[in-house]
Amino acid sequence: MVSAYRPENLKEALLRRKEFRVIPFAGGTDLMVKGRRWSGLAPHFKLPVLFIGHLGELKNVELEQNCLRIGSCCTLSYLLENENMPQAIKIALWMFASPAIRNIGTIGGNICNASPAGDTLPVLYAVNASVVLKNMNGIREVPIEQFIKGVGKTVLQDDELLKEIIIPIKSFDIIYYRKIGTRKANALSKISFLGLAKMKNGLIEDIRISFGAVAPTVVGSREIEDRLKGKTKKDIKQIIPEICSQYSTLLKPIDDQRSNAYYRKTVSLRLLKHFLTTEIL
Amino acid sequence: MDKYLNIGKSVKKIDATSLVTGAEKFTSDFKFENTLYIVILYSPHSHAEIMNIDTTKAENIEGVVDILHYKNVPRVLHTTAGQGYPEPSPYDTYLFDKKVRFVGDRVALVAANTKEAAVQAKDKIKVDYKVLTPLYNPEKAMENSAQQIHEDDEYAKIPVKYRPDINLAAEVEITLGDIKKGFQKADFIEEHIYRTQYASHCAIEPHAAASFFDERGRLVIISSTQVPFHVRRIVSSVLSIPAGMIRVIKPRIGGGFGGKQEVFLEPLVSLVTWRNKRPAKIILSRKEVFVSSRTRHPTRIRMKTGVENDGTITSLEMDGLMNAGAYGSHSLTVLSNIGAKVLPIFNKIENIHFIGRSVYTNLPIGGAYRGYGATQGYFAFNQHMDIIARKTNQDILEFFKRWHIQEGETSNVFKALGEGKEGVDQIIKSCKLDECIDRGAAAINWYNKRGKRIKSGKDRVKGVGMAVAMQGSGIPKIDMGSASMKMNEDGSFNLLVGATDLGTGSDTILAQIASEVLRIPVEKIIILSSDTDLTPFDVGAYASSTTYVSGSAVEKCARKIAEQIINVASNILKSKKENLLLDMGKVIDIRDKKAVSFEEISLYSLYEQDQFQIQSQASHVSSESPPPFIAQFVEVEVDIKTGRIYVIKFVSAVDCGQPIHPKLVEGQVEGSVVNGISYALWEDYLFDSKGRMTNNRFWDYKIYTATDIPEIETIVVSSYEETGPFGAKSVGEIAINGPAPAIANAIYDATGVRLFDIPFTPEKVYKKIKEAGRT
Ligand SMILES: Cc1cc2nc3c(=O)[nH]c(=O)nc-3n(C[C@H](O)[C@H](O)[C@H](O)COP(=O)(O)OP(=O)(O)OC[C@H]3O[C@@H](n4cnc5c(N)ncnc54)[C@H](O)[C@@H]3O)c2cc1C
Repeated sequence: MVSAYRPENLKEALLRRKEFRVIPFAGGTDLMVKGRRWSGLAPHFKLPVLFIGHLGELKNVELEQNCLRIGSCCTLSYLLENENMPQAIKIALWMFASPAIRNIGTIGGNICNASPAGDTLPVLYAVNASVVLKNMNGIREVPIEQFIKGVGKTVLQDDELLKEIIIPIKSFDIIYYRKIGTRKANALSKISFLGLAKMKNGLIEDIRISFGAVAPTVVGSREIEDRLKGKTKKDIKQIIPEICSQYSTLLKPIDDQRSNAYYRKTVSLRLLKHFLTTEIL
Repeated sequence: MDKYLNIGKSVKKIDATSLVTGAEKFTSDFKFENTLYIVILYSPHSHAEIMNIDTTKAENIEGVVDILHYKNVPRVLHTTAGQGYPEPSPYDTYLFDKKVRFVGDRVALVAANTKEAAVQAKDKIKVDYKVLTPLYNPEKAMENSAQQIHEDDEYAKIPVKYRPDINLAAEVEITLGDIKKGFQKADFIEEHIYRTQYASHCAIEPHAAASFFDERGRLVIISSTQVPFHVRRIVSSVLSIPAGMIRVIKPRIGGGFGGKQEVFLEPLVSLVTWRNKRPAKIILSRKEVFVSSRTRHPTRIRMKTGVENDGTITSLEMDGLMNAGAYGSHSLTVLSNIGAKVLPIFNKIENIHFIGRSVYTNLPIGGAYRGYGATQGYFAFNQHMDIIARKTNQDILEFFKRWHIQEGETSNVFKALGEGKEGVDQIIKSCKLDECIDRGAAAINWYNKRGKRIKSGKDRVKGVGMAVAMQGSGIPKIDMGSASMKMNEDGSFNLLVGATDLGTGSDTILAQIASEVLRIPVEKIIILSSDTDLTPFDVGAYASSTTYVSGSAVEKCARKIAEQIINVASNILKSKKENLLLDMGKVIDIRDKKAVSFEEISLYSLYEQDQFQIQSQASHVSSESPPPFIAQFVEVEVDIKTGRIYVIKFVSAVDCGQPIHPKLVEGQVEGSVVNGISYALWEDYLFDSKGRMTNNRFWDYKIYTATDIPEIETIVVSSYEETGPFGAKSVGEIAINGPAPAIANAIYDATGVRLFDIPFTPEKVYKKIKEAGRT
C-alpha cells in the first residue's frame, strides 16, 4: 500500500513536511521509475508521498526587473511555451524527454533529482540560477551549484520544499547547445554541452560554458570563463589547447550503459573546441 | 479493366476496427475466476549446479499454492524451438533442470492466488548453488580447456552433427567446386571478419500464456504464439497429456518476429493447471523477455574471396561462428541460413566453401528472429561486395547486376544446403532484382550522391550505401498449411485456417485469396484462424510462409468450393458447367446471361435436392521456396564531431511477386526497415563480468521510435511468381537484411571509415573516425 497526502495549498504541504517524513511528489516521472517493482504490481515507496504538482502557488512564472522567478512545479511543457523563458532554457527543454513526459515532469523535480544527466542543470548553472527553499519558518536562497552536492544529493532539508528558481536576466547572442542521447526522444544524455556568449566590438564580453553528464554534477568554471573574456577570436585560437586541457582535468566521466568515459570526455572537449572556434564569430 | 477483384487491393484489414476500438482480446485480456498467477525464479549465476532447493519459507506465504522446480516436474528432454517434427534443434532442455546455464535460466516457478504473493514467495525460495566456470566467449567454446555446458543425455533428434562434449550445438559444411584452385586463379584475396550482436524482438506485447480446464476436463491453452499446433504437440509430449486432450487457441497477438515461435511458457501454465485443477496465467515482464526469452543469435562471419582484377570472384569462403547461447534453439537452422539464403544470390561463383558452427555459451538463448541468419549473412556479404567493387573500380550497382541470379537460373547451393540438411533444387521463375536496383537507385538519387561526400551544416557529411538480398517463401517440402471452407445460406463462407496472424494481417490476406477465387467481396469471408479444435493444421507463422504456403492451401480449397458451386448452379440453371462463370455472388451462364445467386445456390444445396453442404478442405506443401528479392538504399549523415549517424532517407525496392495487399506489403517492409536500422545503430545486449545483462529494459535498450524514423520509401516492383497464390511470394522478413550493411556502406562512402561490427554507436563511430584522423 502507498499512503499519500494531497494538500490544498503550499502551507498545508509545508506543515506535512514538518510533521512527517514524506517524499515530495511533483510530476512523478523520476519517482515512479525509482519505485517500480515486478511488472503488473503497484510501485513501492519507502515513505508516504506528498503530492505537490497541483499546487497553484508553485506553478507561476513571474518576470521581475532583474530576474525571472519560475515556480518549482511548472511543467517543462509550460516553460517551453512561456514567452518570458530565455532562449537558452528553451533550447535545453526542446531535447528533454518527450512531449508526454514534458507535460507532467517539472523543473523542480529535475533539479531535486540531482542526476548527472539532468538536462535543465547545465543551463541553470550557466545562467547563475539560484533556488528558493521554503519551510514553515521562512525561506532561504541558495545558488544552484551549492544546492546540488552530488549524484542525487542536495542540501534540501526534510522540512523544506523547493519553491522557485531565480534566473538573473541577461541576454546572450550566441547559444550553442548539444545534447547527445541515443535517440531523439526519451533518451537520457550521454553528454550535453552548453556554450553561451555575448560579443561586443569583436571581443567576448561574457561567456558561460557548462558540461552535463561528465561528472557527478554539472562542470563549469567561472575562472576559465574569466580568462576568455575580453579576448578576440584570434586570441582564443592561441589558447585553445590550454583551455581544453584545463577543462579536461575537470571532466570526470564514467563508463555506463549509455556510453563510455573515453567518448564522453573526448567528444565534450571536441564540442568545446567547436564552440570556441566555429560558433563564436 | 483490372483482372482482379480483391488481389492487389488494400482492402480494410479485417480486425482493424476491433483493434483500434480495443474490442479484440490479447492473451492477458482473458480473465478467469480462481486464477493462479505464475512468477518464475531465475538463476543469478551464469553456470551452476543446483545442490538443493528449499521452498519451506516460500510455501508459508499466504496465497502460495504450488511451487515447481527440478525435483517435482517431469524430466523430459525437448527443444523449445517450436518447429515441425522432428525438430532440427537439439533436445537439450528440461522444464527445470538441476543445472543452470545462464543468468536468467529458470530455476523454479511459484503459482499463487495473487501476483503479489507469487513475487514475494519467489524471493523466499532458498537455492544452494555450486558455481561452475562460465563460458562467455564463443570463440573459445571449442577449446580443450573450455567448460562443458551440456553434459547429460542431450541429443539431436535428426541425424546431424551434434557434439555437446565440445560445446558444439550444430555444424554445417558444404564445398562446391575447388576452392583452392579458385584462390590460386585470383589476382588478390579479400578477407574480413564481420560481427553481429544480440538483439531482442521487442514485440510490444510480452510473451503470455494462460490455461484452464473446459467443462469436460480438456486442457485449453490460450497463448501469444506463432505456432499453435506445435504448442499442442510439444505440451503433449513434455507433459504426457494426449494431444486430443489439449486445445490451443491463439487470440490477437501484439507482434512476434520469431520470438513467439518458442514454446517455453505453455508447458508451465499447463502443468500448473493440470496439478491444481485451476486456471493459470503468466505474463512476462520486459526484463524477462530480454533475458529469458529468445534473441537474435550473435555471429562472427569470416569472408574470404579470391578476386580477379575485373571483379570476377574465383572463390568464396564463408566461415560462420554463431553463439547459440545456453540452449540450442534454432542453432542449426539459423546457422545454415547464413549460407543458404545468401550464397545463391551470386550463383555464378563456382568455388564455394561454407562452414558454420554454433556453439554453446553461458549467455542468453538465441532463437528465431525475422531474417533468420540471412540478416547476419547479408551484413557480411554486402559489405564485402562493396569493398570488392571499390577495389576493382566498379560501379556497385552494375557489379550486383552482373553477378546476381536471374530468372531461369539456379544455384548449386539450393540443393547442397537447406535448413540444417540438404536443400531442394529449384529454378528461379521470378526475379526482378535488376529493376529493384534501378528504381531504388533513382529514388535515392544515387549517382548524384555516391562518393560526393556532400557536407551538410558545419560538421556533417553525407554518404549513400546499398545492399541486396533474397529470402525464401516457406521451407520447401516441409512447411504445410491447410484450410477448410463451408458455404452459408446467405452466400457467405466460413474460412478456417491453421495459419497464424500475429499482427501481420494474414487473416485479411487469406480472406482476399479465397474471395478472389470465388469472385465475391472480402466481407463475405468469415475467417477463423489458429484454434486447434476448430481449424485444420498449419505449421504456423514462420519462415515467411503464410502467404505463399497457407495462401496456396486457401486458394486450392476455394477452387474446390467454386467447383461445387458451379455443379449446383448447373443443376439449377440447366446449363453446361463450362458456360458458367462466378461473378460478384452470382453464377452466370455466359451464353444466355441467366444467373443464379449464391444465396439461392446455398439454399438449394442445403434444403431442396440431393442435399449437402458446399464445403471443402485442402492442404498445401510447396516443392520449392521462391525467393523474394530486394535492393535497399540509404542516405546517412555522419556527425564527425560526435560520431552520431543520422539516417536521412531509406529506400527499399522489393520483388515479392504479386502483392496481395499493397498496404500490408508496405507495412512489412517499413517495419523491417525500422527494425533493421534500430539494430544497425543502437541495439545491443550489454553484459557485466558475471554474464548479467545490464541493459535489460527499454530505459537502457533503445529502439527506434516515431521521432527517429527517417523518410522511408517502399517501391513494390511488379512481378509474378507462377508457383504462388495469384503470383505472390513472401515479404515478411526480407527487408530487415539490408539496413545494417547499407548503412555501413554509406558510412564508408561518407567518411572512408569501415565498420565491421554492428551496432554503429556514436562511441564506436567516433573512435574509428578519430583513429582515421577525420574529426
Ligand atoms: C521516459 C522518461 C524520459 C526522461 N527523459 C529525461 C531527459 O531527457 N532529461 C532529463 O533531465 N530527465 C529526463 N527524465 C527524468 C525526469 O522526467 C525529469 O527529471 C523530470 O524533470 C522530473 O520531474 P518530476 O516532476 O516528474 O519529478 P518527481 O519524480 O516528482 O520528483 C523527482 C525528485 O524531486 C523531488 N522533488 C520534486 N519536486 C520537488 C520540490 N518542489 N521540492 C522538493 N523536492 C522535490 C522528489 O521528491 C524526487 O526526489 C525522463 C524520465 C522518463 C520517465
